[in-house]
Amino acid sequence: MTLINMINAECSEKILLNHNYLRHLRSIVKPGLCLLLALLPTPGFCDETELQALLGRIRQSGSAEFHYEEIRKLELASSPWQGQGNMLSGSDGSLVKQQLQPTRVVMAIAEGRMYYWDPEQQQRHTAPLGQSGQASALITVFIAILQGHADGLKSSYDFAPEQHGKHWILRLTPKPELGNQEAATVEISGEEDGRKQQVLIRQPDGESTEYRMLKTAEGQQLDKIIQRLLLEAMGD
Amino acid sequence: MSFVWRKRWFLLLFPLLLAVTVWQIRIESDLNAFFTASDNEDSKLLSGLLQSGELSRRYMLVVEKATNQEPFGLSLSKGDSTSSGRTETGLLGHTTSPPQNPASLDTFSAKLVLQLAQIEGVEQVWPANEPPREWVDAVRSYAPYHARLFSLDPKEDGRKLFDPASLTGRAEGLKQALLSPQGGFVKAIAKQDPLLLSLNGFKDLQGQFERQAELGSGGALILQSRYAALDSELHSRLQAAIRASFDSLNQAAGGAFRLSMAGVPVFSVAAHSEISQDVTLVSVVSSVAVAAVFLLLFQSFSALHWVMMVQIASFVVGALVTALAFGTAHSLTLALGGSLIGICTDYPIHVMVHCAKHRNSPLDAARLLWPSLLMGGLTTVIGYAALGLTGFPGFEQIAIFALASIAASLGLTRWVLPALLAHSSLHVAHLPGIAAWVDFCARRRKLLLSLFAICVILAGLTLPQTRWMDDMQKLAMNMDQLKQQDETVRSHFASIEPARFVLVQADDLETALRRTEAAERRLKRLKQAGILSEYHGLFPWLASQDLQNENAKVYAQALTPQFQDAWRAALGKAELSVDKLGKLLPPAALSLEPEAVLASPVLHILSGQMIEGQKGVTLTLWLGDHDPQKLTEGLAGLEGTRYFSQKDQLDRLASLYRDRSLFMLAIGIVVMGLLIWLQQRSIRKVLLTLLPTLASVLFIFAIWALIKEEVSFLHIIGLLLSVSLCVDYGIFFMDNRGRDSDITYHALASSTLTTLASFGALGLGKTPTLPILALSVSLGVTLGFLLCPLLIQKPSLK
Repeated sequence: MTLINMINAECSEKILLNHNYLRHLRSIVKPGLCLLLALLPTPGFCDETELQALLGRIRQSGSAEFHYEEIRKLELASSPWQGQGNMLSGSDGSLVKQQLQPTRVVMAIAEGRMYYWDPEQQQRHTAPLGQSGQASALITVFIAILQGHADGLKSSYDFAPEQHGKHWILRLTPKPELGNQEAATVEISGEEDGRKQQVLIRQPDGESTEYRMLKTAEGQQLDKIIQRLLLEAMGD
Repeated sequence: MSFVWRKRWFLLLFPLLLAVTVWQIRIESDLNAFFTASDNEDSKLLSGLLQSGELSRRYMLVVEKATNQEPFGLSLSKGDSTSSGRTETGLLGHTTSPPQNPASLDTFSAKLVLQLAQIEGVEQVWPANEPPREWVDAVRSYAPYHARLFSLDPKEDGRKLFDPASLTGRAEGLKQALLSPQGGFVKAIAKQDPLLLSLNGFKDLQGQFERQAELGSGGALILQSRYAALDSELHSRLQAAIRASFDSLNQAAGGAFRLSMAGVPVFSVAAHSEISQDVTLVSVVSSVAVAAVFLLLFQSFSALHWVMMVQIASFVVGALVTALAFGTAHSLTLALGGSLIGICTDYPIHVMVHCAKHRNSPLDAARLLWPSLLMGGLTTVIGYAALGLTGFPGFEQIAIFALASIAASLGLTRWVLPALLAHSSLHVAHLPGIAAWVDFCARRRKLLLSLFAICVILAGLTLPQTRWMDDMQKLAMNMDQLKQQDETVRSHFASIEPARFVLVQADDLETALRRTEAAERRLKRLKQAGILSEYHGLFPWLASQDLQNENAKVYAQALTPQFQDAWRAALGKAELSVDKLGKLLPPAALSLEPEAVLASPVLHILSGQMIEGQKGVTLTLWLGDHDPQKLTEGLAGLEGTRYFSQKDQLDRLASLYRDRSLFMLAIGIVVMGLLIWLQQRSIRKVLLTLLPTLASVLFIFAIWALIKEEVSFLHIIGLLLSVSLCVDYGIFFMDNRGRDSDITYHALASSTLTTLASFGALGLGKTPTLPILALSVSLGVTLGFLLCPLLIQKPSLK
């Protein structure tokens, strides 16, 4: 059993209450990138009850930092683009992606807004998540999965979990009856030990983004780093 | 008809008239409609811009952290993050509670935007540092026309844009853009426009939002309302809804934020509120003062009751006729019309004074005085008619209001009042000093006339010192606090001035666009020279055929096989798809038709810069901070293009109004003289009747010159009113129908007192218009009254 599996929702709630997080907990669904690790294989995984239990375990909070590698296949690019850096998920629902290679770029998502800062190009963008078109839809799905809001995606996606030995996969496919031509297919996979996972987002136009993530740290102290990076992304 | 039936008919028709008036009347409070004449193109333009101009309909909202809140709950300094991405937590200082999310102001603003967008009357609302979504979508639709719209100066820009050496960097830039969060937007454009030329045309637009972003005001929002700027009632409701939306969100956020609001509608609502208070105050005080003076003079509640009913009926007739003639009645018309009660009361007062002093029946007194009453009424109407001809739309209303009210008052005084007063016991108080002044004037006439002559000469000598008011702003209400708030709010915005812009006019749209493009090129240079902070043009939203063809020509010439090869090589180097981006197509065969653009959502973006006029096409280029003189010089020589300043236009109007008012003052006096001559058939009598009036006009000008009062058109208009009243005094004094000057002068004193009571009440108003009118009329009637027994020698004094 992994660390995350040991920390059930009730227990985490008590811990967080002790840290004056009550206000946040009531208003925000508890996030946590590390919760991906909760998507571990269990017998009878295809069963709806089991899926609910799995998603329920996802709803845990806590800040975590991951090293990631990103591979993007763009429709207009001749070869895949690769980048790497740190991804930090905050206890308040924020998410910061700090790309370090090939150039430093900070992208942050906090309270429904996206911030982007490319220091080399001196490019800064900000927009509400709902106003960035396809990119926004992708980010919304990504955040929902990473931070344990997968339930909210059930109206738009079919969930298909698979178990192959110690390896598990959860596929989210857009519901065909909704006719959303731009919706992406998302595939999350990982190993039982919970330290590594992959997120693969495939778009209908053939573009895809793959994240390979490895947890490197967790704990409340990360909130301060997240906040600093958020401020940098916002330009404050 | 018997008195009984006259009274019954009056009592029956009075409530009916009141009901019809309440049903018919629609009260307007738009100050602009009252003051801005629309008899020339510029005035119409000004009037239209003030009422419904897009910038005039905009609110600027600033959401800030309430001052008692620690910003973001934690003090953080910039740039503490390390380049490796790992941050030393120790640098953050000590804090035991978890930090608040720094995005909260942005988030709160975003929520507020969504909520405000739902309010009725809100056309659009967006953060000042982001283009509205519709704008972004519209930009995308220009990609197919990239070869025709990439530059305002294609020859100059073409050298850089089509320099093969720059292509490697551009391909790399394209790749970065595709990887950025704007990748979806860029991809859609790049498929049709691989060089992103269409975005080059829009880079100035992007610059505007970047400058706003540099101000760092995450809580700066722009709200565009649907309502005309000066429709204060609707804006009042809208502002309440905006505040309610903010309050509900802020309450949920624990009251952490505060909202400031600015914009033309904020001023319009404040002005409306002030005017409403003025109207109420003036109406109440004027009515109470006139009633008090009346009671003091006649000591009869019964007479007061009937006379007030007659006056109210006259007022209601005036309001109804105005509403029927103009569709609406302005609140200032009613406020100034309210002061007419004081004038119209003169007619019953004369009847009652003669009735009481001569022990006549009211009917006999009314018959006796009727010729004088009619002539007095006519001269007053002429005064008001002259007022209506000065060109102020509002005073046209007042003229009609006065005509109807005075006619009603005269008719009711002659035919109804005697029936109403049939059973009233009338007494008139003896006013101390009246007889003494008349006697003194008779006894010391030579001395007083000598003094008068000296005063006339001295007054004449002071006239050259008269100071004219040319700045219409001085007539505006004192709203210093609101102006201060406006400045504070505007400091959060990369501002565009709502009142000064470049105006381009032409017979057709194509010519207008060519002229606009020429003006934009100049503005661009002026901006580079620091004379102008920024401007909002029409390019590339709209471009002339000429410019589109020129762009296409430069593009086609640049598209050599060598250039295409260089571009493909750059794409390969940037690892971008040569297949999908490597083929640079020739310019679109058809140009972008302005008509098609204006049939698309882009019309909404440009609506504020396109002014509908009766003649041709009028386009505007909005300006940021600028030096007016240098900018005007910079635009010199451009056909159909000029710098337009609302303030300058208003000042020109003020000057024009003043000249017209002076002219109408002279015309009014001549027409009054003509009417008196028709009745008296004697030039001498005409001159004697007019002499007190003319003298009082001269003395008032002298007093203004001595106290260094800046004389505006409103002063002259007040004077015109006082002239029409003073002439009445001359007529009554000259006619002296009761053959008793003491009684006539008592009647004049009584009417002067009621006039002072009603016009004096205007002095309590905060709208500068009202005190100016109060001063002018009060000075005029007082001097006119005092000069009558001195200058009109004709009546044999008792």
